[in-house]
Amino acid sequence: MNLNVRPVLTALLRNRTGAILVAMQIAIALAVLVNALYITTQRIERMRRPTGIDVDNIFVMYSGGFTAHFNIASTLQQDLDYLRALDGVVSATAINAIPLSNGGSATNITTTPKAQGQDNYNYFDIDEHGLEALGVQLVAGRNFRHDEIQPPLGKADASRFVDQVILSRAAAVHLFGHDNPLGKPVYDSLGQVATVIGIVDPVLGSWPANDHPDDVFFEPRLSARAGVGSYYVVRTQPGRRDAVMRVAEEHLSHANPDRVITFNRTLAAFRDLTYLGDRTMSIYLLTVTCCLIAVTCFGIFALATFNVSTRTKQIGTRRAVGARRADIIQYFLIENGLTTSAGILVGCALALGAGYWLSLEYALPRLNLYYLVGGVLALWGIGQLAAWQPARRAAAVSPAVATRTV
Amino acid sequence: MLGYYAQLALRSFRRNPGLTALMVLAIALGIAVCIMTLTVYHAMSGNPIWWKNERLYAVTMDNWDPNQPYDVNNKSRPPQMTYKDTAYLFNSSIPERKEVSFTTAGVLSGGPAVTPHRIATRVTTSDFFAMFDVPFLYGSGWSAAADRPAQPLIVLSRAENEKTFGGANSVGRTLRWNDHEFRVVGVLNDWFPLPRFYDLENGPFSPSEAAFIPFGWAAEMELPVDGNTDCWRPEKVDTYKDMLASDCIWLQMWVELPDRASRERMQAFMDGYWAEQRKAGRFERPRDNRLTNVGDWLKDQKVVDSDNRVLVGLAFAFLAVCLINTVGLLLAKFLNGAPITGVRRALGASRRQVFLQHLVEVGTVCLAGSLLGLGLAAFGLRALQHMYSAARFGRPGGYQELMHLDTAALVWALLLALLATLAAGLYPAWRVGRLAPARYLKSQ
Repeated sequence: MNLNVRPVLTALLRNRTGAILVAMQIAIALAVLVNALYITTQRIERMRRPTGIDVDNIFVMYSGGFTAHFNIASTLQQDLDYLRALDGVVSATAINAIPLSNGGSATNITTTPKAQGQDNYNYFDIDEHGLEALGVQLVAGRNFRHDEIQPPLGKADASRFVDQVILSRAAAVHLFGHDNPLGKPVYDSLGQVATVIGIVDPVLGSWPANDHPDDVFFEPRLSARAGVGSYYVVRTQPGRRDAVMRVAEEHLSHANPDRVITFNRTLAAFRDLTYLGDRTMSIYLLTVTCCLIAVTCFGIFALATFNVSTRTKQIGTRRAVGARRADIIQYFLIENGLTTSAGILVGCALALGAGYWLSLEYALPRLNLYYLVGGVLALWGIGQLAAWQPARRAAAVSPAVATRTV
Repeated sequence: MLGYYAQLALRSFRRNPGLTALMVLAIALGIAVCIMTLTVYHAMSGNPIWWKNERLYAVTMDNWDPNQPYDVNNKSRPPQMTYKDTAYLFNSSIPERKEVSFTTAGVLSGGPAVTPHRIATRVTTSDFFAMFDVPFLYGSGWSAAADRPAQPLIVLSRAENEKTFGGANSVGRTLRWNDHEFRVVGVLNDWFPLPRFYDLENGPFSPSEAAFIPFGWAAEMELPVDGNTDCWRPEKVDTYKDMLASDCIWLQMWVELPDRASRERMQAFMDGYWAEQRKAGRFERPRDNRLTNVGDWLKDQKVVDSDNRVLVGLAFAFLAVCLINTVGLLLAKFLNGAPITGVRRALGASRRQVFLQHLVEVGTVCLAGSLLGLGLAAFGLRALQHMYSAARFGRPGGYQELMHLDTAALVWALLLALLATLAAGLYPAWRVGRLAPARYLKSQ
């Protein structure tokens, strides 16, 4: 096929304004499209990461005592006994923080005593039912035994450690590299020692947005802090969560006048709230980007249509002196291609600039160039598509037009 | 004359209804997206106590680990204070007013109308209310004498007073907080500083607490912190006393310094204390004792997050595309109508008149676009507000607090409409005014 680029280019250069405007739109559209997709993919990847937890069948309650008569240890035992016996409940545990909720506790642990640990590990205090209540899978070693569960921390021993811990695989790799961690000691910042007895995988902790959200370990301890209270994590059989939730709340809020049930919510709600920012950002970015592409597309279309209608007579003349319909279509597509290419050239620079700014803003790796290639191809396609219909209309102009006036 | 131009514009719209609609819609979308992001950005980056910006200072001292800074990624200083440092600095008489506080939770019971329920409570010193210009509906705060030894006095928020006492003047009435009897001394009027500058630990848009009690109760009742407690030193923290003596940070401290001289004296006082403590083995990091005013504090604590800056950038990129699009379409349209303009010019219309006529047409398009955009933005903000509110179980304090279409948004809409008209219309109108009429009077 013989592409006649030169005459198209000459004509374009004589009548620059429209082409420059289209090119500018294409440039901005490319920069936005590429970067918005890049950010969105990262958000979606973050939201899709496996949590390792049976999120959809779990609900969380908070019980807080407030009077002098309140006995935290006995209340805890009664509540847990009641919850575990409840019809539809798979398992339940007290826990010190809610996974995936953006709130929790972290501490330093190391593999040598009195070493200056740099990294914080997110920890959860659970009992022997804890792993089952969360739905977390043990992949090596064993679970906590009933006799290993420590009593709640009191008002005088808040820095007491535990004797055993279960690590997430990520935490195990972080601490021990590729050595087998089972049976090895870990130390807290005071040099107290615990033995690693099990490994779970996968599992996400309290802060999914952290650099290492899976650096997690579990301690065998009844969780209850004086004056603060306990969270109960309850896992139900599939589909029975909402019904069990209501029954449990009804019972527990009346079972003991010395405490209040402050909330009773699904774990899914906590997870959704944690990811809400990522979700709205993704939706918003995609919506605005789609609108932007649509506006650009309609703009190209409308401008091309106008160009065709102002050039009816020229087109007729060309047809009359021998141009085929295909030549006319080709002319408009080449014109569009040239304009788009100019826009894309500028757009690449803009996209990389914006990408650089974003990488600073988010402390992210620089824009992946595949996105740029994809964006370039997409905009090229969109440009040609938008020009196609006007080009066909141009081709339909009858050669006889050339012989008429006005 | 303007009326006539408007008539001409209407006629011109009727000639190309699809194209006109496209232009209006593009401008509306561009402006709507801009208004939405700017409204949120504006609310987020506001300074809720700007009139005291040069008087209120957050107090911070870098007491962190000699081996690594508080925030490894951002190399920033600790945002909170230890108990022992605030206790010392609080004795200074240099500040006109001073405040140390933290947030906790307590169960409120014994009121006439309600079942026991847990409420966020601020444990703070007496100057809190006067320092931050907190408005009172009834009564007042407590005196400095009530801070320590702690007297059982409590200030309720307006909402809490409505819940517990049905909105009546409850000053002098008693209720139970964590099963201790407290007497109400004041009820606040509505107070929802955005961002919650005095304590950003639990999210910058959290509502202020439902109740306030004197600071002495912290040690007296061993009240746990409901915000963040950060520790670095390997030290045994077994009891509440240990916690008070530790290098853990969990307190907010603010001082009110009326002028430069008092600020310098306060800084010198802090540095003196720092040097003394350093000799005793604390403060091993380079000296970083700071008094930070509210505006800088909000910036340092990164209240405006990256997503929002990115969205503002995106909004303007989008608006730019919409406007460029409109310029292109208007240009094409005006040039297409050149033969008619040619006739008008030949009949005696001046360049200025032709220019004005087209500018009126552009202005109408942009005005319609802006109005539609304002409507779209209001709708969009409403939708987002619902989404955030629902996800937070209806509790206040999330992004939904920032999503009210306010006067600032209206001003933005107006400005953007003007900008759109000028940016999109000036060039096409000028260009069509400069056409030589004779050429268009001839046949094509």
